This record gives sequence, structure tokens and C-alpha cells, in this order.
Amino acid sequence: MPRLKTINLIFLTILLMASAVTCLGQSTTGTVSMSATVSKFVEINSGGSVTLTGNSGGGVTTDGVANSPLAVSINLGELGPSNTNSFVTASVPLKLRSNAAYVLSMNATVTSSGTTSSKIGAADVGFGLGTVSRTGLGVNAGADTNATSGDPTLAANGSVNGTTGRYEFTAVRSNLSAFSSSTTALSGPIIMNAVPRSNANGLTVPALFAVKPQFFENGTTTISVTFTVTAP
Amino acid sequence: MRLRPATVSLLFALVLLAFAQTTFAQALDISSGGQPTITGAVGGSVTGSANVTNDLVVTINFGEVSPLNTNSIVKVVVPIGIRSNQPYQVAVSMSGLNNANSEAVQAADVGFGVQNIRVLGGAGKICTQSTHVIRSPFNNDPATTATVGASGRVLYTSSLGNLSGSTVILSGPQLSKNNSAIRQQSDGYVFDAVFTLTPQFFASGISSATLIFTISAGPNVPC
Repeated sequence: MPRLKTINLIFLTILLMASAVTCLGQSTTGTVSMSATVSKFVEINSGGSVTLTGNSGGGVTTDGVANSPLAVSINLGELGPSNTNSFVTASVPLKLRSNAAYVLSMNATVTSSGTTSSKIGAADVGFGLGTVSRTGLGVNAGADTNATSGDPTLAANGSVNGTTGRYEFTAVRSNLSAFSSSTTALSGPIIMNAVPRSNANGLTVPALFAVKPQFFENGTTTISVTFTVTAP
Repeated sequence: MRLRPATVSLLFALVLLAFAQTTFAQALDISSGGQPTITGAVGGSVTGSANVTNDLVVTINFGEVSPLNTNSIVKVVVPIGIRSNQPYQVAVSMSGLNNANSEAVQAADVGFGVQNIRVLGGAGKICTQSTHVIRSPFNNDPATTATVGASGRVLYTSSLGNLSGSTVILSGPQLSKNNSAIRQQSDGYVFDAVFTLTPQFFASGISSATLIFTISAGPNVPC
């Protein structure tokens, strides 16, 4: 019996020593695990100054500043027959950046003080996106899809209605009535390569607005346009 | 003379203790070197023990590194403790970070440098005939050496892209004065492993990597 007790004590001691050595634990290796998340990112900013042409009176009230949030205000001036120019046009440069495929949508409202069908309506405001440019260091080459018909003043995009005599922007998505709800204007693949946000390059495209001066019902008109870019 | 069982056990324990000390005496050891820190992160974190007697087990979450993070850089400093009774070297190997999309986060996008090797308390061995050498190109703080390359992407003097297999990053003479099998608070050296990631227009996704730091016998330099 005493012998058995001795053996038990020895085993107990061995266990304790093994445990002690483990606890003293030194190691020749260590581990550093790391992870990072890249979420989809899209942004729209001003691409620069607005260009207003053909206007009689009016002017750019709040101009665009490149790489700043887009918040432009334009007074198109006189749109009655006293303005003898063929079109009043405003070109608003947009700059888009993304690390994913994007969709640029637009929503427009047109409100006139007039009360007849001769007041300025959404269909009287021509709209289109101009030439898309992907240039500069860090900008990914890619083919974009312009869902508008481009410059609304092009002869192919509008004409005088032979019945009513009113000038109409007739091409696909060539006037603001096509954007009474959020509607895609432009889409395309990833815009930016892996470059820092401090890189100021991006995709630029002019948003072109045009109104044909006509015998509209007199009054004032407010046009509000909201651009939204998403990464679906 | 007849020994009592308890005495026999005690003697046996002493013999085992001596054996253990000889067998497991501090030869080469790597551990936490203190509390890791992170700056510039959005939704990121770093976890690890502040206790230098604990194992090196650090988890870094750089957080959001798309342009949604408007900070210029995310920087993580991981202090690493090392002890040895002989010349040593520290090597690093990496797994992960093998994104097929070149616009996603790559190994070269994670800056990696070694800085600030320093004595860990009074029992750190100060050798006069050899120095501790941070191997090229890792002797830099990637947060201060980052530049924008010809492609517009951020480049570092050294990065995880410089790791190939098991890559030696540090070597030198004996680190510890004593020969204890027990990790102590003050018996070696500490260096900072610095990791950086600059938020960029990376392709979206989650990236991860695991680094194994290994200390082993190094070039036989005198102390």
C-alpha cells in the first residue's frame, strides 16, 4: 500500500511538472491576423463651371465648383419670343467617381405659374448628357451607356410639331418629362482604379438643358433637377 | 536508511524540475510586447494583450478602407517581445491576400515596417560587439514613407508584398541576460511591427491575411 501511494505521488508530481512547464509557456511563434473591408463607393460632384448661352437676361446664380458638391442655380432669363436666340442652353459639368459599377439617375420637376397648356412644361425643357470622358491618372477605362439622346438642340432630337406648331424635344429621354420619376440617365462599369480619394480625377459628363424660346404663357417657371448615383 | 514516500516524491520533483529547467530554459521566445494601437480607422479595431508575458496573438481589423474612410491612412502598431540566450533572427510568413482582382487590396497595399527596437527592462542583454539589424527594406515607418506611384496607387518602401515565404526581418545577438524558463516583464527586447493601409478606390470586398512571426537561431554574431 505505501508503495502504491508513492507511485501515485510520483505521477501527481509529473503531472504538476508537465502543467508547470506548459504554464511557463514560451513560444517561438506568434500570430497577427488582419482584415479590411472595402464597401462600394460612389459619389457625384460638380465638374466645374456652368456654361449658359442664348440667354436674354438671367445668368448663373450659383456656379459649380469642380470637385465640390453639386449645387447649381441658373436663371435662364427670358424664354418668350423677345429672346430671339434659337435656344437657351445650360451645360452643367458633372463628375462621377466609384469603385464599382454605377447608375446615374435623374428626377426632375417643372412648375410654372401659368394656367393653360401653353405654359412651360417638363416636355418643353430639353435634356441630354453630352460626351462622357474617362481621362486622367487612376481613371479606369470603360464603356458607359448614355440613356439619353445627347445634346437636345441637335436637329435629330427635336423639331416643330407640324400640327401644333410647338417646338418639341422628341428623341428618347430628350426632355424632362421622361424624368418625372427617378430614371436612369447614364450607367457604366467601375470608374476609378485603386487610387486615393485625393486623386481628383473621375468621369466627367455635361448635363445639357435647353429651352426653345416660344410664345409660352407668361409667368415664371421653376425647374428642379436631382441627380443620384448608386452602385447597384 | 529508508526514505518516506513523501520524501521520495519531493526528490523526484526536484530532479524533474532541474530537468525541465535544462530542457525548456529560455532559448528563443516571442511574445506580446505591449498593447497594440490603431489610428485613422473607421469601424476598425486591434486586439491583443498588453501583458508582455502573454503569447503574441493579435487581430487587426483595418475597418473601412474605401474612400468612405476620409482619413489619410490607417496605421496599426504592434509591439512584439523577443527573448533569447543566443543570437537570433525573426522571420515572417504570410497567408491570404490573394485577391484575383488587381484593383482589390493586394499584399503591396499593406505597408509593413519594423521600428523602434528597444530593451525590455533591466534584464535585456546589451551587447557591444553586434547590433540588432532590421533587414532591408523593412526599416521604415510605412505611414511616413508612403508615396503615390506612377499609376496613382499608393506605394510603400516596404509592404507585405515584400514577404516571400519565410522572410527574415530582424536579427542580432543574444537578447536576454538571464536564462529563465519563465517569461519575465524585463528580460528581452521589444520592437514595433507597423502596418498601414491607405483608403483608396479599391474594388469592393473583404480581404484578410495571417502573419506568422517566428524567432529562431540566427547568424552567429558575438555579443
